[in-house]
Amino acid sequence: MIAVEDLCKHYGKTLAVDGLSFTVEPGHVVGFLGPNGAGKTTTLRILLGLVHANAGRATILGKNYAQLERPFCQVGAVLEASGFHPGRKARNHLRVLARAGRAPEKRVDEVLATVGLEGAAKKRVGGYSLGMRQRLALASALLGDPEVLILDEPANGLDPEGIRWLRDFLRSLAAEGRAVLVSSHVLSEVEQTVDEVVIINKGKLVAQGKIEELKRGRDGRVRVASPQAKALEEKLAKAGFAVSEDGEALLVAGATSAEVGEIAAKSSLVLHELTPLATQLEDVFLDLTSEEKK
Amino acid sequence: MIAALFSEWLKLRTTRTIFWLVVALSALMTLIVVAGVIGSQKHSISGAKNQLDMLGIGSLGIFIALIMGLIVSTGEFRHGTITPTLLATPSRTSIVIAKALAGMFFAVALVGLAEALVALELAIALPAKGVDFAIQAGPAAGLIGRVLVAAALWGALGSGIGIVIKNQIGAVVGSFAWLFIAEGLINAILHSHAINSNAGRFFPFQATGAILNSGTRDPQLLSRAGGIAALGGWMLLFTIAAGVLLSRRDVS
Repeated sequence: MIAVEDLCKHYGKTLAVDGLSFTVEPGHVVGFLGPNGAGKTTTLRILLGLVHANAGRATILGKNYAQLERPFCQVGAVLEASGFHPGRKARNHLRVLARAGRAPEKRVDEVLATVGLEGAAKKRVGGYSLGMRQRLALASALLGDPEVLILDEPANGLDPEGIRWLRDFLRSLAAEGRAVLVSSHVLSEVEQTVDEVVIINKGKLVAQGKIEELKRGRDGRVRVASPQAKALEEKLAKAGFAVSEDGEALLVAGATSAEVGEIAAKSSLVLHELTPLATQLEDVFLDLTSEEKK
Repeated sequence: MIAALFSEWLKLRTTRTIFWLVVALSALMTLIVVAGVIGSQKHSISGAKNQLDMLGIGSLGIFIALIMGLIVSTGEFRHGTITPTLLATPSRTSIVIAKALAGMFFAVALVGLAEALVALELAIALPAKGVDFAIQAGPAAGLIGRVLVAAALWGALGSGIGIVIKNQIGAVVGSFAWLFIAEGLINAILHSHAINSNAGRFFPFQATGAILNSGTRDPQLLSRAGGIAALGGWMLLFTIAAGVLLSRRDVS
């Protein structure tokens, strides 16, 4: 449904996207992750025909965005929460887009209700909060009832309730067989929402796959607290584990709680806490992107 | 293309900018007509020719048409609405043409309204001053027709300039600096003994003068048809430049 093949884009001497390839299949929510400046927004804008690629292909439903028969009704996009005329009412903003994109005008009120903005539909966008603008941007993306959604940081500005709503909403869209590509910096949120992730760094693909697959094979961490922390830290370091401080406790990377417990027992060190920490998406992300830096 | 045009039309109708332009234009027209009638001797505002000249005040609306054309395009970059606009209409050529046509239609509507207002105010103010309203329908229609042609071309020209320059303040200041300073200055240099050229006749403001010319022979101006061709040429030049630049630009 979404296919990016050997995509390259440079701005002057700066390489923003460097031979990037990945795909997104129907019925999936795919997280598009990368550090700031990794090339995420540039890639999304190339997909939507807003930025010209220097090489490679970025297609949706097998075609370039501009070559789609009714692009606005086939692909919905949220790129930023600032593409509004402040003096235009929200409902009129959507009417303008519906008219240009050949979406039925009755969808305007439907999508306003979907994103919970029906009460503020006649308010000028200049008076909207960031969260309301984000909801309006989502409403714009949904106007054409599209098969594919491309969302750049859609949770920006949403309150916890809004984030939860967005998560359920994206899941429901995927359940209807739509493809959703969503970039986000809130990794804990992404972990609860997406089926798989595409991780990029410096414009290159670092990893693509299901979160569980990416977590597999990555050692977890153990949080351990002891009144003899310094002695314990020395013993763990001597055993070859990376130890860092976490408040009054220690974080031991690459060890199981059994290994840490045995080392403490052999040295007769008292433990107040021994907690295995599951590998989070954040750990995978930081590992992968820091490996790239090396 | 048609969908983009209707969308542009709706864009213009759904902000208060146009409302304030209409208010400003109406206030300006009223002020000039009232001041002109009150401050003039009866003999200088009597007769069809003098009154037709007063009706020509509506042609000042052409400057508002230019501003409106500039706003149609620069507003998209100023507020970032160019992104949703391009998502809804990926054909950038269609957007440029739709904006040129929208600028053209709105300019005609706006300046038409200004001319109607001036005619109405003259019909009231002149008899109130004790002067017969002597404007004939034929000459009035000819004048208004020429003003509307010029307004249409300026509206479209403004939208083209707005895409080329993008920055709203820069586009407005640059356009008016050209009209009121640069064009006159260059024209004067061209007319100097050293150069002695009439090329300045083809400049936009001079071409507009040719279009609005009441028929008196002026060697420093083109013919009416020549004026339309010259101003139309500028409009086409900037529309094509806008199309080429917008097609090549990355919108990020």
